[in-house]
Amino acid sequence: MIRILARYSILFVLTLLVLAVMSFSLAYLFPGDVLENLTGIVPANDAQRMALERQFRLDQSYIVQFFYYLTNLFAGDWGYSFTSGIELRDEIGVALPATIELATYSMVVALVIGIPLGYYSGMRCYSTSDYIINTSSITTYSFPVFWLALLLILVFSLQLDKAPLSGRVSLLFNVEPVSGFILLDILLSDMQNKSLAFKDALSHLTLPTIAIGAVSTASMVRITRRSVIDARHQPYIAAAVSRGLSGWQIFFRHILRNALLPILPLMAIQITTLITNTMIVETLFSWPGIGNWLIQAIYQRDYPALRVGMLAVSTLVITLTITVDMFNRLIDPSREKYEHAAI
Amino acid sequence: MPMLDIKNLTLEMHSSEGTIKALDKVNLTVSSGEIRALVGESGSGKSLIVSAICGALPSEWSLTADRMSWNGENLLGMSSQQRREVMRREIAVVFQDPQTSLDPSATLGEQLEESIPSEFVQGRWFWQRAQQRKKIAISTVHKVGIKHHKHYLSAYPHQIPSDIGQKFMIAMALVSQPTLLIADDPTRGMEPTTKTQILKLFTRLNQTRSLSILFVSHDLLAIASMSHTMTVLYAGQTVESGKMKHIKKRPLHPYTKALLDSAPSFRKDLSPKSHLPTIAGSIPTLQHLPIGCRLGPRCPRAQRACVQTPAVRRIHDHSYSCHYPLHMEKL
Ligand SMILES: Nc1ncnc2c1ncn2[C@@H]1O[C@H](COP(=O)(O)OP(=O)(O)O)[C@@H](O)[C@H]1O
Ligand code: SF4
Ligand SMILES: [Mg+2]
Repeated sequence: MIRILARYSILFVLTLLVLAVMSFSLAYLFPGDVLENLTGIVPANDAQRMALERQFRLDQSYIVQFFYYLTNLFAGDWGYSFTSGIELRDEIGVALPATIELATYSMVVALVIGIPLGYYSGMRCYSTSDYIINTSSITTYSFPVFWLALLLILVFSLQLDKAPLSGRVSLLFNVEPVSGFILLDILLSDMQNKSLAFKDALSHLTLPTIAIGAVSTASMVRITRRSVIDARHQPYIAAAVSRGLSGWQIFFRHILRNALLPILPLMAIQITTLITNTMIVETLFSWPGIGNWLIQAIYQRDYPALRVGMLAVSTLVITLTITVDMFNRLIDPSREKYEHAAI
Repeated sequence: MPMLDIKNLTLEMHSSEGTIKALDKVNLTVSSGEIRALVGESGSGKSLIVSAICGALPSEWSLTADRMSWNGENLLGMSSQQRREVMRREIAVVFQDPQTSLDPSATLGEQLEESIPSEFVQGRWFWQRAQQRKKIAISTVHKVGIKHHKHYLSAYPHQIPSDIGQKFMIAMALVSQPTLLIADDPTRGMEPTTKTQILKLFTRLNQTRSLSILFVSHDLLAIASMSHTMTVLYAGQTVESGKMKHIKKRPLHPYTKALLDSAPSFRKDLSPKSHLPTIAGSIPTLQHLPIGCRLGPRCPRAQRACVQTPAVRRIHDHSYSCHYPLHMEKL
């Protein structure tokens, strides 16, 4: 147990270190001035430039510079945005939770709908209902996510006028960010028209969640179905049948858990796709998340923002992936054999 | 009347190249109270017969039989509910590979306890019943010679050595107090002392509880002394079957003779360091089965008639399928 935790922590720290090195080197690789890329501050005169260079150790070796960069990162001093001049930490602090919120709802949709459907069609494999479920999940899975999002906007926002076109919540409501999750923030706030705001936020959420969730659900169905079918063909299921156990006993005692174990690591792989899809869909719905924010940064050539944004997104992905993998390692007794952690 | 009676069991697998008869008109009976040996090289289809009896074959293969009955009831015509009941209470199976026949995500104790028929446990409350289950489980593992029950009952399948796994599979089979035990190669890879222990256990169960046993093995030596009757299988066909002592003394089928000859302890006339007589070649794969008698290409006695599958012939309770059997020239 302790060994596992230690092993995964080392993996985690090392990966983050590599990411930090990469983001640091971006300051040199981006066109323009290293000092400006690193800090986001444009010095007004030479004296200020000299002072800043000394402050950021740019006159010393790369190693020293990097360690100073690391301490700054830890201190929460991530530099300033070129365009808005606001501290990047504050901007990311708003954008990243918005993305996580959207991704979470889509994941919940995928889990709640995808896994039961997958079990159902896996248990009834090669029946008519299985063919229907499987065909529709393959079809959904093959949709490009941005196309699906555009289609939803076209139908529900423009034609039917059922859902708002863009944004997170109507500008009429002024929601104080506490957790960064809009629904939670509305519940926590002390507005008079809470339920109205909540409904409004929900209607903003629905379309992007469906767009991202549909693809995740489809892949969840497919993963689960495959895993259930594989589990059903294991010799120990045949052995359980020959011991005269009933179908329900076999399902609950032997299939359920064994089919779930291979799903978890595949879910870890899905997380990357999920975040990517969320970032794409955000830009279409003008959802104020990190994807949208990064695109704006690219348009504006806001190098400090890109540098830190990339670090933030990859840290998020790595954290989630390693956590799921570790969780999986802890609950699966037969994985004791595999000593080494892997992403 | 035999308890388990199988006549002309044929199993066809459908593949892209066509249909393959993995089992071709297999006959097998087990009478009440007897130990029957089912022998054959590996790959001859012994495990397939076992799976066919317990209904664990994939449904995409077609299984047909003129008769496949258990105590007079047709196993193939039963509802799945009845079939399950038979497997739960009357027939128990020890599968060949304990490592894959056990659920990797559950402890051995859980798996043993779920095999205990609910009729065996009384008690009003579930904890009383759980306690009884535990007691039955412990006494059963002791019976098969597992000593550290505390350790092994809470272990997962990948944590135990394979001979414990095999013993444990036997315990799981015995816990429902069946009338027929089917053991598929239960002593494979065991060291001699453990092997003797298991064989003794089977003999004792057969004598004291009149448990019938279908003992599947490729190891003639292990079973020759304990079994009453024997059926020999070659490439999915039954070649000879009858009383053990008759077959040992006077095998009628060339394959049985070769099988017996290749086991040195059956031969008293063998001079030291002489070559063991064997038949050339190896068992054909399912994709390249010869027509007619499947032993044909390897058989020293083969003649033209052998391209036709020989019919089953019978002398008293000794049956064989061969056009040119041994020891029959005088007749
Ligand atoms: N699931 C399967 N799919 C295809 N062929 C199989 C399968 N199981 C067994 N066979 C084939 O059936 C034949 C008999 O196998 P088996 O009954 O395991 O032999 P034995 O138990 O006598 O060693 C072998 O040739 C094997 O290749
Ligand atoms: S039928 Fe012919 S080939 Fe087959 S065992 Fe008898 S003699 Fe040999
Ligand atoms: Mg076998």
